[in-house]
Amino acid sequence: MIAISCYSCSKKIDEAYANPNAPVKVPVEELLPQITSAMAGNYGGHGTMNDIRYIGAYVQNWQFFQPLSNYDQMGYTNSAGDVGQSTWRMHYYDIGQNNVRLIEWATEEKKWDYVGVGKAIFAWSWLTLTDYYGDVILKEAFRTEQITFKFDPQDEVYSYVRQLCFEALENLNKTGDGVSQANLAKGDLYFYNGNTTKWKKFVYGIMARYHNHLSNKATYNKDSVIYYSNLSITSNADNAMVSFAASAIGATNNFFGPLRGNLVGSGITAPTAIRQGAFIANLLNGTNSEFAGVTDPRAWYILRGNTNGTIKGVEPNKGQTIIPVADRPENFWGVSQNPSATNTAPANDLNCRFIFRNNAPFPIMTASEIQFIKAEAAFRKGEKAIALAAYKEGIVQSFGLLTGTYNVNIPAGKAITDPLLANYMSNPSVVPTSADNLTLTKIMLQKYIAMFGYGILETWSDMRRYHYSDKDAQTGLQVYRDFIVPSGGDLFPDNATKLVYKVRPRFNSEFVWNIKELERIGATSLDYHTQEMWFSKP
Amino acid sequence: MLFLGSLVLFTKPLIAQEKTVTGSVMGEKNLPLRDVTVLVKGTRTATKTDENGSFSIRATEKQTLIITSVNYLRQELFVGSRNNVSVQLVLAQQQMEEVVVVAMDTRKTAKEIPFAVQSVSGKELQESQRENFVNGLQGRVAGLTVNQTGGAAGASSQIVLRGFNSLSLDNSPLFVIDGVIADNSTLNETSNGGSQLGLASDRANRGNDYSNRISDINPNDIESVTVLKGPEATALYGSQASSGAIIITTKKAKMNGKVAVSYDNAFRVQELTRLPKVMSVFSGGTNGIPQDVFSAFGPGYTGKDTLYNNLDNFFRTGFSQTHNLAVEYGKKNASWRFSGSAFDQKAAIPTNDFKRYNFRISNTTKIGKYIDISPSLSYINSVNDKPLRGAGGYLLNLLVWPSDNNIRDWKGADGLKKPLFNANPNAELDNPLYNVYKNRSADKTDRFLATFAININPTKWLAVAGRFGYDTYKTDGYTQYDSMSSYLTRAQKGQQDNYYRSYYGYNHTITATAKKTIGNFSGRVMVGNMWQDYETRQFAVVGNNIVDASRSDSNNTNPATRVRLSNALKGLPNYSIRRSAAYFGEAFISWKSAVFLTYSHRFEESSIFPKEFRNYNYPAAGLSIIVSDLVPAIKNSALNYWKLRGSLASTARSSQPYANQSVFNPTIGSGGGFAYGFNNNNPLLQPETQETFELGTELRFKNSRYSIDATYYNTKNTSLIVEGFRASYGTGFVLNTLNVGANQNQGVELALNLDLVRGEKFTWSSRLNFNKMWNKVLELPANVPEFYQSDTWTYANARGGLVLNGATTTITAYGYKRNTAGQLLISATTGLPVLDNNFRVRGDRNPDFTLGFVNNMSYKNFRFSFLWDLKVGGDIFNATERYLTTLGRSYRTIDRESPRVINGIIEDGLENTGTPTKNNISITPAVNQAYYTTMPEEEFIQKDVNWLRLRDMTLNYNFTGEFVKNLKVVKSLGAFITVNDLVMITNYYGADPQVNGNTAGSRGVGGFGFDYGNVGTPVSVNVGFRANF
Repeated sequence: MIAISCYSCSKKIDEAYANPNAPVKVPVEELLPQITSAMAGNYGGHGTMNDIRYIGAYVQNWQFFQPLSNYDQMGYTNSAGDVGQSTWRMHYYDIGQNNVRLIEWATEEKKWDYVGVGKAIFAWSWLTLTDYYGDVILKEAFRTEQITFKFDPQDEVYSYVRQLCFEALENLNKTGDGVSQANLAKGDLYFYNGNTTKWKKFVYGIMARYHNHLSNKATYNKDSVIYYSNLSITSNADNAMVSFAASAIGATNNFFGPLRGNLVGSGITAPTAIRQGAFIANLLNGTNSEFAGVTDPRAWYILRGNTNGTIKGVEPNKGQTIIPVADRPENFWGVSQNPSATNTAPANDLNCRFIFRNNAPFPIMTASEIQFIKAEAAFRKGEKAIALAAYKEGIVQSFGLLTGTYNVNIPAGKAITDPLLANYMSNPSVVPTSADNLTLTKIMLQKYIAMFGYGILETWSDMRRYHYSDKDAQTGLQVYRDFIVPSGGDLFPDNATKLVYKVRPRFNSEFVWNIKELERIGATSLDYHTQEMWFSKP
Repeated sequence: MLFLGSLVLFTKPLIAQEKTVTGSVMGEKNLPLRDVTVLVKGTRTATKTDENGSFSIRATEKQTLIITSVNYLRQELFVGSRNNVSVQLVLAQQQMEEVVVVAMDTRKTAKEIPFAVQSVSGKELQESQRENFVNGLQGRVAGLTVNQTGGAAGASSQIVLRGFNSLSLDNSPLFVIDGVIADNSTLNETSNGGSQLGLASDRANRGNDYSNRISDINPNDIESVTVLKGPEATALYGSQASSGAIIITTKKAKMNGKVAVSYDNAFRVQELTRLPKVMSVFSGGTNGIPQDVFSAFGPGYTGKDTLYNNLDNFFRTGFSQTHNLAVEYGKKNASWRFSGSAFDQKAAIPTNDFKRYNFRISNTTKIGKYIDISPSLSYINSVNDKPLRGAGGYLLNLLVWPSDNNIRDWKGADGLKKPLFNANPNAELDNPLYNVYKNRSADKTDRFLATFAININPTKWLAVAGRFGYDTYKTDGYTQYDSMSSYLTRAQKGQQDNYYRSYYGYNHTITATAKKTIGNFSGRVMVGNMWQDYETRQFAVVGNNIVDASRSDSNNTNPATRVRLSNALKGLPNYSIRRSAAYFGEAFISWKSAVFLTYSHRFEESSIFPKEFRNYNYPAAGLSIIVSDLVPAIKNSALNYWKLRGSLASTARSSQPYANQSVFNPTIGSGGGFAYGFNNNNPLLQPETQETFELGTELRFKNSRYSIDATYYNTKNTSLIVEGFRASYGTGFVLNTLNVGANQNQGVELALNLDLVRGEKFTWSSRLNFNKMWNKVLELPANVPEFYQSDTWTYANARGGLVLNGATTTITAYGYKRNTAGQLLISATTGLPVLDNNFRVRGDRNPDFTLGFVNNMSYKNFRFSFLWDLKVGGDIFNATERYLTTLGRSYRTIDRESPRVINGIIEDGLENTGTPTKNNISITPAVNQAYYTTMPEEEFIQKDVNWLRLRDMTLNYNFTGEFVKNLKVVKSLGAFITVNDLVMITNYYGADPQVNGNTAGSRGVGGFGFDYGNVGTPVSVNVGFRANF
């Protein structure tokens, strides 16, 4: 009697297990939107855009409006505020388990396109993560039952990125089963709209970056860089971009737009009230020795003018106050700084340009970047003609991106026209007439310009490969010509005269809760951020 | 034969004057004995005691009463001049079969039980006149601690047996009524972002209170309460009883063919006498300069100022009345009992009203030879109007209200809040009267509790029993903040916070027991099955822009402002469903009725865990040896009974439902969709493991007049579930729920029964319950330097935090910085102490020991009982005092005008050398209020707080003689006066050291020992009479 008294118990118990109050499983189509938006800046404000506000100061894309900021000085802020630590969160939390589940459930449902996209995003985010932090939690990542986590060396992360790329391609190549462009588009609406061909080009682009980053190593394979560049994004139509619905709900808008107001931090430890840097301004206004006297038409698309109608930038660690008021650049929302600093976000984006508008898409990887990657590898290989062709294409694609996607709110008379582009391309100090006159400096500086604002993390990887101030053996000149590395009082005290090479692991995640492991890898030393990473070492 | 003959011969006594003799008969442990035969010697005049052990019989002064009961030694009593007698019967050792109701509604002989068990009679609880009977248990059972939330009517009480085992889970015991599990939850306000059963406003169990639901039980229906503190409870009731079980047996009618009616009442006045002390010497201001502010650091009041006694102007005299009626009728094969109770209280805090009605009907019917059934049905209705407490309550504002303003003058000409200093009423503290009248909160509960018991005894050796219970209630509650309250912003325009909770609990237990005796051995095997299905549903909604302050429904707000629990999106309530099936067995063998061995095992399947580890099982075993039966020589000494016992058990404790399932939240970014919330509800979560053993002995002396029962227990909890702690994002989440940590509870319990005086006129018996506990955190993850229950972070920087190798009950707080010699460090610039703004262990709430002292005396028609409750040691964070100090109202700020130099060492780099610089910076706090306002929390953690309380004191008088005789229908009539909490002697400098910063809805250790904005226990005087018809 006792035995039969509860015949259906197990079934009733099983029915009571799942949480009825909130979903423990959602369709993969509903998971992807947040994951792709986290690659830029998601609803919670996390993603690479959050961090490039600070890293942009390392590479001197932009500087803080006041002097003495931690990041202008190539320093850091290691505190509960987790300044400059969004990439850690983006990878482990915002993409993290959501993407683990996406891959798991899409595999169960044989939605191979979703599996491929999930792996492609992980390949991208692991590479982004390790280039940012160096050693990271790899093998033990996403173990929900653990409380402390072992860090793994960067070369292992690189190997894993390569493996993920191949797995992504394998799945993106599959057809049949649950694969459907229309269905992929449901989750992919704000990235590639379900186009697996473009996703594959993105994966090839990750492979190109991967091989390109290893340029200082004996194992550096120039042919692989060129090979994957050729398979990757070749036109702006295929650019990997995160776009925004830009509805009345703030979280659907671009992280850099005035509605979300994320460029107003006025403390030197969280310096996000940024202004264009002198280095980029000088590259575009004809001051830089490499492009002396050349006015770059892209200036009015990506930078801001001032009361005098010129393009000027702020020098690192100096702030804008030392600039005469009429020369002080507007902030990126077009707010005049004459006579005094104004950081408040304007009511609308009618005077905002480029990636600083509420609905502006944000590039993750572009055709011009791939062309410059190819140009560098071909140049190093000695294939100068191929290098020059890729170099020219890189510039053209850069112009194309601006005229195609960011042709908004350009001041009267400053719009790029075909004659203007032709004029620029025909200037021999920009495009050498002979392939033999092409230099690494030209390639890297043009890449620097093309990647301004959005490609900061890649620019940082490039500059770290060249140790900021490496000289081009061919010309004897600094590759990043006229780039002044901070020194003396312009350098962060903890750096002990060294430059920045990585970011310390996230404070609230690792410094507070995983400190033993940080001690083991030496990440608690004050100059940890100046230690060069595996990828840029020989 | 001769004896029988004498009965016949003297049927009609002659001459002597007859009178009514009343009395009470107590058995073992001073529990009243019912159905005891009381016979007038040499006559046929006889009666039986009722359920209170009371009897009434006619006899003359020269007669003798013979008192007999099965299992007890017969006792004779000469009547003499007494009208009232009290008798304690002594167990007949030869055939002792004292029985105790234990797990599964089974009765076991006391001898065989291998663990400590203590019972409290329903009578004792009723006499304490506590409407929440749980509060009446304090001091009456060793190892049982009741932490009351506060002195408000309808407040919840946290009950803990043998200390805190779990850090994040519920530590309250299981409540079982007649073998059926009944709900004792207290609403937990935390909804974790709408995903659980909290309020839509997601609060932290500090600012309001909700009754613990077992308080719905009518104390008058309780026959006895047995407390299972240790292994036994866990062995048979399983994981949910890992913190012990409280077994309630209800009253049943007798099958004696008679109708019995009893009525009693109680009228109570209540006065709040324990309030924090505030001084009214200084006016509002800063650093001695007058300002229109609440902070009283201005100049002193002068004779010209009119000062008001606002505390007196606020509180009222509480009044309540209770009426209890019970009707019993029984015949040969069936009996019925009906009871009803009405309780109506107006507490000492204005607007704090509590009403409760209880009805219960129960029946016992014998069907044929082998079967009897007992169904019962209870209905409870209660309404509790509650003032807010803690940081949002009236009390703190009352304490700091400027003395030169009359709090009664709280309304403006428009009838609205009248601010004192600020043009914006939302920016200014609420007048306490405004607070209680305009920020309203109430709960209404309707509860049905049905039980059904069936016993089938087809043969002598086999018994089958079933216990079925269905428990359901609905509670609707709300909190409304007035649009002008300082707890809101002006833009919110009021707040209406509603919840609609319903509970459906079904459980049954079916057991079959077979027994057999062969020679000196007797054995028993029990197998059983238990099924439990508990479901709680809750709608909750909070909104702003109140439409009509007189309404309290959830439609009373602007729909656009409303926030609901997560399932409301689907039009559904949030659920918490817990189901489990269990199979268990118990094997028992005894030898010569002197050695008893029990082994039990329980197999459980719980819906809390995923299939892979949903099934778990655990064993328990116990041994009891009656040494005095094995070695008869012992009995010739003063020692007449000696028992040794030991038991051990392991069990598992499961988490809350769904704690192992991470959930997705809708995202509001481009493309919408879902993303995981912050919580790693780890799917690999395992039940906590609890291993416990206890050793004990019981000795009785002088024919059991004196006895001592000593117990040592040791409980080790491993793989503790810790919820919501931060860890590396390596998990893929921010907050984590994992099996980490271990702790240990040990304790010693002593129960002394003393039959001190057994005279003809005067009797006095006492019981002492001593309890000492140790607890220790054995393991915490290396990356968790401090674990704390966030609800306990009630005020400033002190909280219920614990660290590795510390106690489970510690307080962590900010404090003073000291040099290596332990001297205070003083800032060279300010002359004030340098603070150590780190959470470190700075107190432990666990008392050194507690002692309950129960006394029962009788003299003639009087019975007198009282309970002293002693607590020694244990620290308290007096947050109220800190608040008063920072606002210049504490007496510690009265001497502010005299300059002083703080005894300490200047922090100048020499502080840890052989030549530290002694502080010589003089400070005058009157012009440098930072002296008080920057005092760290450490300063307000009072160490070693003791109390001695006279919890309950009852004087009963039984009317006898002509008066009662003339009342024909009245069988007995008594009057009583009961005083609660009359005396409290304490070294605590706050109002009342019995405090809890949280409600019983908080989990883990909870907020006992945190004193912030709560009133103390009021003094109550109850008078009433009892009558039986």
